[in-house]
Amino acid sequence: MQTTRRNLFKFLGGSAVGVMFTPAPWRLITDTALWSENWPGIPRPVRGEIKTRYTTCALCPAGCAVRARLVGEQPVALMGVPAHPLSLGALCPFGLTGHHLPYHPERLKQGPAHEAAGAVANAIAQCGPNERIAVLDLRPGRTASWTYRRAMAAVKNGVYLTAPRPLGGAAVNLAAARTVLSIGVPLLEGWGTPGNVLAARAGFRLIQAEPFESRTAALADLWLRINPGSGRSLALGLTAQLEGKAMPAQAAAETGLTESQIADLAADLAHNGPALVLAGEDVPEVAPLNRLTGAWGKALIARAEAPVPDSWKKAAPPAGLASVPDGSIRALLIDESVPGDYIPWNAIAPKLVPDNPVVVAFAWSRNGYGRHAQFTLPTAVYPEMTGDAPAATDSPAAAFRISTPLVPAPAGMVDPAAFIAGAAGMDASSALRERADAIHKTGRGTLFTCADAKSTPVKEVKPEDFWKALNEGGCWVDAAGKPSAPVEETGWQAKTPAPQEASDLPLLVALTDLPGATGLISPLMSKLYQESNLRLGPNRAALNPASAAACGVSEGAHAVLQTRLGERPIQVTVSASVPPGVVEVGASPEILDICGAFSRARVAQS
Amino acid sequence: MRIPGYLFFLGGTLAALGAGWAGFPHVIYESRPQPVDFSHKVHAEKAGAKCEDCHSFRDDGTFAGVPALDKCSGCHAAPMGTTPAEKNFIDGYVTPNRQPQWAVYARQPENVYFSHITHVKLGGMKCEVCHGDEGATDTLRPYQQDRISGYSRDIWGTAAAKGMKMDDCVDCHRKHGFEHSCLDCHK
Repeated sequence: MQTTRRNLFKFLGGSAVGVMFTPAPWRLITDTALWSENWPGIPRPVRGEIKTRYTTCALCPAGCAVRARLVGEQPVALMGVPAHPLSLGALCPFGLTGHHLPYHPERLKQGPAHEAAGAVANAIAQCGPNERIAVLDLRPGRTASWTYRRAMAAVKNGVYLTAPRPLGGAAVNLAAARTVLSIGVPLLEGWGTPGNVLAARAGFRLIQAEPFESRTAALADLWLRINPGSGRSLALGLTAQLEGKAMPAQAAAETGLTESQIADLAADLAHNGPALVLAGEDVPEVAPLNRLTGAWGKALIARAEAPVPDSWKKAAPPAGLASVPDGSIRALLIDESVPGDYIPWNAIAPKLVPDNPVVVAFAWSRNGYGRHAQFTLPTAVYPEMTGDAPAATDSPAAAFRISTPLVPAPAGMVDPAAFIAGAAGMDASSALRERADAIHKTGRGTLFTCADAKSTPVKEVKPEDFWKALNEGGCWVDAAGKPSAPVEETGWQAKTPAPQEASDLPLLVALTDLPGATGLISPLMSKLYQESNLRLGPNRAALNPASAAACGVSEGAHAVLQTRLGERPIQVTVSASVPPGVVEVGASPEILDICGAFSRARVAQS
Repeated sequence: MRIPGYLFFLGGTLAALGAGWAGFPHVIYESRPQPVDFSHKVHAEKAGAKCEDCHSFRDDGTFAGVPALDKCSGCHAAPMGTTPAEKNFIDGYVTPNRQPQWAVYARQPENVYFSHITHVKLGGMKCEVCHGDEGATDTLRPYQQDRISGYSRDIWGTAAAKGMKMDDCVDCHRKHGFEHSCLDCHK
């Protein structure tokens, strides 16, 4: 037999044909594809013992109880605690995905902590008689907030600044209301404690007065479509009607409602009381209105703060930014480690001294005040951080619960409370324990423990057990007292002036999605918050088709939002649900820096 | 002797077919023995054990899978019989308190979400529907793993055991009207 090259090629050709009729090549293709899914570097779910741990969500002031499922030491699922006395088992979408946050791609990993400490120490030493050292706390009422107040009392010319408290610090008891009139408040989409709001919802009739059909408006018993920025006029009209006076002429004209609609609404509130009226800070008339509707002292009540040690009471009082003279803040320390009410930079900047002010932002990303600060120091995020949650707006009783870490914080994170206490020469490392002991010492209230869903009178709990239970997701709730009327605060001042007509700025800005403004939401919640426009994402703007045509922009166009304070790039969404003459904007720190609610703006092609 | 050229072509075809159908399955899988020569049959027949005695659900509904050593140690702290397999198990694992590194035939890849409690408690399915007669075997067969994908042979491939492959899942879901979407299993 002679083997020639020709025969060899014939054999190989036959083999090539034959192999096609075997599973080998096809199997190799799919196996290689599967192999590529398991390359090194591709994350894999951890395997290990299944554990349960309890903590408190720190993503908003509601402080809902969280039951975490862990595989080994890795949290893989978060859920509510059904029998919890405050959160009643509910957890919002942000809370359900809170365990994703440590892996947020925009997270800060390092910062110049030593340089910042040196700069703050210099600023304190060189602080002139008319200058201030200030801490801006975006979420007051925490134990960390008390540390800031104590630190500011310890340093020369220290000031503790906060955003205006919702409802002037009063608590809302939704269960005591038969009717709720919400003037633009997102009652059913993140306001208060989600579980409590949903539980109380069946007991009251909800009337939503709002320019857009928000989720709350869609789920309300009645939606009154009012003109943007006309909440004060509606409140004034209702007040006049309930007092039996003549309705102000502008009430109907400015709100877009008829006089008879406002009269019917007033009668509704009067006959179906207690009728609670909720509104934003731009409607200060809400306090007298609640007195007239019978909610004052019943559905809107005073609430004491959780007790603190006596030695803490020599602390700096909370102050609003307006109380600080312009050009007086030598060093400003901003705690935005937990999401809170964002105060636009244009309101802060004039308060700083003109020559080299020191601004330190404690933040999880550089998207907020980090854009303006001299030093941005990275902080732990929930669920890495340790901190407490004061009672939420809709909690009639004082409360205290601790957010204990589910995962360790990475190296290099800065604890704002420890930093600021250190700058003031204090040691606040055991502040949480001291406060827990002070609460226990009063003997008031009950302790709820998550693992067994039991409430035990504090008197029956030993101090060590009280502290241990709090660190295991437990919650202290103060004893219910007789409801009393809240003290009206000066903070209930309209901070947003009525919108002025301006020919060069034809549109009125309406801000949406304020809870998500700080962006501390799971990066995986992309369908709802980034890709779709079910909720406007940051830097997205929605216009009525007529307004969009007038501005010369179309769906998906990249444009510029211009206000008196500056301009920002936006992407346009055209929607008939937006009233003509209004630009609805997804709130983000960049947007909030150039426009408040109902400011004037124009949209131009970029 | 001159061999016609087409026979070389035919020979190549036949060689490739033989290698592809008979040789390839042996090459693509690597085999390794289980760490312990375990007999389901002995435990079921002599000890009267049921599947759920060892392969149990946790309190939160999750499936515990292959039992950890402490479950075995409860009975086998000292030899109960005279078999070499038991002696080796006690000497090699129970006494030094070392977990056996079982290779799980039914281990699904990371992109598959499978809930035992949904199928067993809600669906009322018997273990045998997917796992076959594993509970009656007298010895553990070698674990075979695809050399490229790393998947167990029981869940992937044409020669896989009946009941563990995606096609089996789809067939059963289709049969019972539970074929909703890919996201049922691929989260």
